[in-house]
Amino acid sequence: MTKIQRFATSAFVLALLPTLALVAQEPPPQSQPAPKAGPVTLPFELVASNHMVVEAKINGQGPFRLIFDSGAPVSLLGNQAAEESGAVDKKAPRSFLMGMRGEGTLKSLEVGDLVAKDLPVIVLDHPTIKAIAAFLNKRIDGIVGYTFFARYRTTIDYQARLMTLEPVDFAVRDLMKDLPNRLAGPKIAKRRVLAPGGLWGLTLGDPVDSGKGVAIRTVRPGSPAELAGLKPGDVLTALDGRWTSNATDAYLAAAATEPAAGQAIEAVVWREGQSVTIAVRPVGGI
Amino acid sequence: MNRRLAWAVGLGLVAVTAGWAFDDAKGPDPEVGKSYRVPYRTTETNHFLVRVRVDGQGPFNFLVDTGAPSLYIGLEAARKIGLKPDPDEYFTPIGRVEFEGGASLTGMKARVEDVFQMVGMNALGLPGASIDGILGFSALARFKIQIDPTRDRMTWTRLDFEPKDPVVPRAVMKKQSGEMNAMNALGPLAKLAAAFVGKQPEEQLHPQGFLGVELVEEAGGLKVSGVMADSPASGSGVKPGDRLVKVGGKPVDTLKAAALAVAEVRPGDKVALALVRDGQPIDVSLAAGEGF
Repeated sequence: MTKIQRFATSAFVLALLPTLALVAQEPPPQSQPAPKAGPVTLPFELVASNHMVVEAKINGQGPFRLIFDSGAPVSLLGNQAAEESGAVDKKAPRSFLMGMRGEGTLKSLEVGDLVAKDLPVIVLDHPTIKAIAAFLNKRIDGIVGYTFFARYRTTIDYQARLMTLEPVDFAVRDLMKDLPNRLAGPKIAKRRVLAPGGLWGLTLGDPVDSGKGVAIRTVRPGSPAELAGLKPGDVLTALDGRWTSNATDAYLAAAATEPAAGQAIEAVVWREGQSVTIAVRPVGGI
Repeated sequence: MNRRLAWAVGLGLVAVTAGWAFDDAKGPDPEVGKSYRVPYRTTETNHFLVRVRVDGQGPFNFLVDTGAPSLYIGLEAARKIGLKPDPDEYFTPIGRVEFEGGASLTGMKARVEDVFQMVGMNALGLPGASIDGILGFSALARFKIQIDPTRDRMTWTRLDFEPKDPVVPRAVMKKQSGEMNAMNALGPLAKLAAAFVGKQPEEQLHPQGFLGVELVEEAGGLKVSGVMADSPASGSGVKPGDRLVKVGGKPVDTLKAAALAVAEVRPGDKVALALVRDGQPIDVSLAAGEGF
């Protein structure tokens, strides 16, 4: 795609993503080492619009007031904060749409003892942020989204108004390289074969009661399923804590189990009006 | 008093009282302190999705979104649940919300609305799965929520915390900005765009074919430890004690390798097994069946 096409696609997709935005961004630097530091606990302000607001320094400047938003696929910064923090050149041209300045990288985002380096952001004045700031009558400088959260094991405690962040080693997907290409590309469904993590000895039938569970059609004699006490006619409602509202669900749940042989996995079935939990020990095999 | 004005007055109040209240009248909730492992998936659009049943209906896919003030249910899901929103009320009471993994909430209210982001993404098929609703503050705040991108489940621990329903109807925010109104046109616009560029198809899931050959790893390779009764392998010539050396022409010496060799096998496919029994090679072909 040309730069203009990419921009147009991005601009359109931008506004669609909850809660806020999304625009083209460069791939996050791959050199980003996962700092094996301990957890950092940060207090946050719970504002009247029910958002978590954290004061952070950007590139050593600030503090800036940022909304921490697990539903935002990217992070973004308003024009004023972007200029003040030096995240964007003051002379950089603004687009007609939301004053968009395109993509940038924050050298550092500093909150308490936590420093996130090389965080990709989009610079624009998003209407939603403007609306929230106007409603709160307080300054809101931007949104911290998935590109930040994907670096941490995040614990949010609204009652204590504390957020705990512990670095994990996780490759953040480059959404914006992905998305415009997918939009413009051929519409081919991704294909995935669901491989159960062990042999149970079951076959499944139809969903029961509009998806409350899936009927167990047969239980193979002598199989782990039979030894554990599963019976044909049982309605499987959960496998290893995952709902089984149809056969595909059940395969998905079985595929998510570890193939470690001999380990008990809980199956919940509906039998004669009662919910029964049964521990099954699948065996290795194909 | 005009309802919208009432909201606005309520807002000022909430800003002072910080927006929630504890209900001291009730006894201790037995759910408080309980932890649940909540399965989730990350969509193609980098959103966290969990599965939810509302009033026994579903499962539905809901976004975990700390940027949303309350619980949103799309119109299609609301219809399936049987919700009948009162046009004079911003929120619709719902009975019971269950989350995959075991957590549940009662006495919730939801905003029944096709939020434009949801409509737009669904129309273009961007997330790779349909999004039926959004779990925002009023639902999420009742739990301490841990999200670890390297694991496939979140941990939700029930708090002794009853956040009040949010007091920020979109109508209040909407009327402040023409830009926001323009944003709301994006949902229908995305539907229109999808008519031209096409919708991204959802991921297709296929169950793997089943053979019924039980295997253990041994020094130097795989041994057949059992043949499951009534399975494709039973009566095919595979016997316990055989060594399995190839599956579909691929050499296998570990359980992992065997699983990989059948990764693309669908029910009905023919699979060739190369076995060794008493030093003699034996070739067996069997048709994969259903089940696991």
